Parts: sequence; C-alpha cells; structure tokens
Amino acid sequence: MTQLDFVATHHEEVTVISVQGSVDSLTADQLTEALGSQVSTGRIRLVADFGAVEYTSSAGLRSLLGSVKESRRLGGDLRMAAVQPAVLRVLSLSGFASIIKIYDDVASAIASYGAAA
Amino acid sequence: MSADVAGTPPAAPKVSLVIGSGSVKCAAAIGVAQVLDEAGIGIDRVVGCSAGAIFATLVAQRNDAATARKRTVELWTKDLTAKGNTRALLSVLAPKLFGFSLGRFGLRDDRKLNERLLEAFGDLNIEDTPVPLHITATDFGTGDLVELRTGPVARAIRASLAIPFAFSPVEIDGRQLVDGYLSDPLPISVAMKHGARVIVAVGFESPVQENIASAGRFAFQLSSIMSNNLLRARFSFHSVAHHAEVITIIPEFAERIRLFDTAKVPYIIEAGAEAARSQIDYLRRLLSADAAPAHPTAVLADSK
Repeated sequence: MTQLDFVATHHEEVTVISVQGSVDSLTADQLTEALGSQVSTGRIRLVADFGAVEYTSSAGLRSLLGSVKESRRLGGDLRMAAVQPAVLRVLSLSGFASIIKIYDDVASAIASYGAAA
Repeated sequence: MSADVAGTPPAAPKVSLVIGSGSVKCAAAIGVAQVLDEAGIGIDRVVGCSAGAIFATLVAQRNDAATARKRTVELWTKDLTAKGNTRALLSVLAPKLFGFSLGRFGLRDDRKLNERLLEAFGDLNIEDTPVPLHITATDFGTGDLVELRTGPVARAIRASLAIPFAFSPVEIDGRQLVDGYLSDPLPISVAMKHGARVIVAVGFESPVQENIASAGRFAFQLSSIMSNNLLRARFSFHSVAHHAEVITIIPEFAERIRLFDTAKVPYIIEAGAEAARSQIDYLRRLLSADAAPAHPTAVLADSK
C-alpha cells in the first residue's frame, strides 16, 4: 500500500502537519483528508512541514491548492515549510510558489502567523 | 509477463512523454526515455516543442540511447548559427530600401540548419514514426499553439525552432509558424487533449543572462522573462485543471549548459536518466494502481 505518514502538532492556534513520503496521484487524497480534518475542526492556521516530502506531482499540487483555498476561505491559511529542492522546483515551475507562503523551516512558518496573521 | 485467460499478454504500461523547449538541455529526454524503456514502461505518444521537437522525434523513431546521442552530436553543432543573414539585418536598418519580408526575417542564416535537419531526418513524415509524434509551433498571425501531426519532420522541427529574430518563420499550410515556446514552452495540453492519463513532462526554464552587454543578450533576457512566466502560467493551469497525472522531470545540472555545449550531451543525458530513475518506482505503482485502483485511507498520528 502507498501511503503518506502524518504527524500533527499544535502550537497555540497554529497546527503543523508534518508529512513524510511523496505527494502524488496515489497519496494526494490522504493529504487532502489530513489537512481537511484539521480545517473541519476549526484549526485553520496550518503549516505543512514538507521536510520529509521527496516529490509532488500534479495531483499533489491540486491537493495543496484545494487546502489553501479552503483554509483561506475560512480566514486561515496553509503555509509550507522546509520544502526540499525537488518539490520546490515543481512549486516554482507551476507558479505555486507565488501564491503559497513558503518558509525555510517550521519555526519561521509558525512565527509568521504571529507576525502577520 | 503473464498472459490473461484468453492467452493475450496484458498491454505494457505506457505514459505520454512531453519534451519542452530548452535548447541542448532537451537531450535529457534521451536519458528519460532510456530509463522508461529499461523499466518496461512504454511511451504511447511523444510531444516536442522547439529543441524538444528534435528529441521527441528521436524518441518517436525508437532510437536507442547510444544512437540518439550520436545523432544529437552530429546535428547540434556551433556552425548552425555561425553565419548572419545580412539582408535581414539591412531590412531592419533600412526597410524602405531593402524591403521587409516576414517569411525571410531572421538575423541568422538558416541554410545550414535546414541542411542539417534534412540530413538527420530526410523525408521522414511525422505520421510515419513508430510512436505517435506531435510537434508544436506557434501561428505568428494569431499566437495560437499549432500542433503538427502530419508532413515532413524536418520542416516541422524547423518551424518549432524558429526562434524570434534569429530564424525566419516557416510557412506550413498557409500559416507563418514560429517557435513553439511562444505559445507554450511545455505543451502538456497536447497530450491531455489526446487523452493522456499519465504524462511525463521534461521541462526547463529559460536561463537568465549573466551579463547583458549587447542588444542580443537584452533580447534573450526579455524572451526568458516572458517565456518563463508563460511556462508557469500554462503549466499551473493544466496541472490543476485536468485530472491527468503530470510527473515533472526537471534534471539538475551542476554545470551551466550553454547553447552549443555539445560535449556535455552525455552529461545532460545522464542527468535526465538520473532524474527519471527517482520517479520509476512511483510510475510503476501508479500504472499498477490504474489497472487495479485502491484508495488507502489517511493515517494521522495526533500528538501534542
């Protein structure tokens, strides 16, 4: 079975979802569900820790975009942290880097909500 | 390979390969095709744009990697653009005196390029390649992407390679065609339109100029800015708007690759192969899952 692993940690109003694996056509629904389950409980300030994500395909991009739109619609945001070079290249090529806030590390992403929430 | 109950072997898993613009860096697609072949993953369609059209044709002809590398080195040499087109230059400086002809306007003499493409591909037609081939160009009159599916390969590649200002447009079916990158530097839409489910896309952003000390470099910089923004806009739209799975392969080059770095072709091909190898396991799983879909549920460990 192909699956992503997730760990959710809460830092006051910010929830960090640490993701491990590749976000692709076989796993993107799991990411959507993991992020959506937080949003549905009112935790709309999200950080996706992509430090252990090796790759994302177009299906991963669709999942991220859906989660960004939903969290922003409710007044929150989905921000990304520790994005690895292979993933960053896809985010850049697809223009996603211009609409999603990306931080070097998780601490900076969490802090960004305090600075400009 | 196992056979089904009727004794017919199951079809080999296949992907569509799209090779974007990117000058000699597009040779990386040879490495990608080699790795797919070694993994037993077929290519059911190949789309090429600009220089990517050359390598798309080599793949569509089912050249093995060694042959494709040899043909690339023979085709792609510095003398392709060495000679200027004096008449075109004079037509810029004094259009009333020398006249301006759209069909002849290109500041480089294209005779060597035309000869070389004919040497490489002869009278091969697009519709005759073993793997279905699509070459893209841009209609100069409308800006539309033009998908060439029939006719001489050499002429179609020449149209797809008609870099603005450098090479003159090519007239095909009454339309003046220019470089495919002007309408879409990575035309995954063509594969989608033909029903592709899994697309392997080999693409490159245009390099920015290190030192802009001439009008030529100034023009290249403008071109890079526009084409990179177009690439991102088109790629993002097609990636999110369509259900096809797009696996993007962007080879990493530690060394800067210049337009005529032919000596680096083996290095470029290996970089493509290396980037493709990192996706092979996933491709195998994806193609298997397409045959027997499964929907695993998320595993979420919640800790504080």
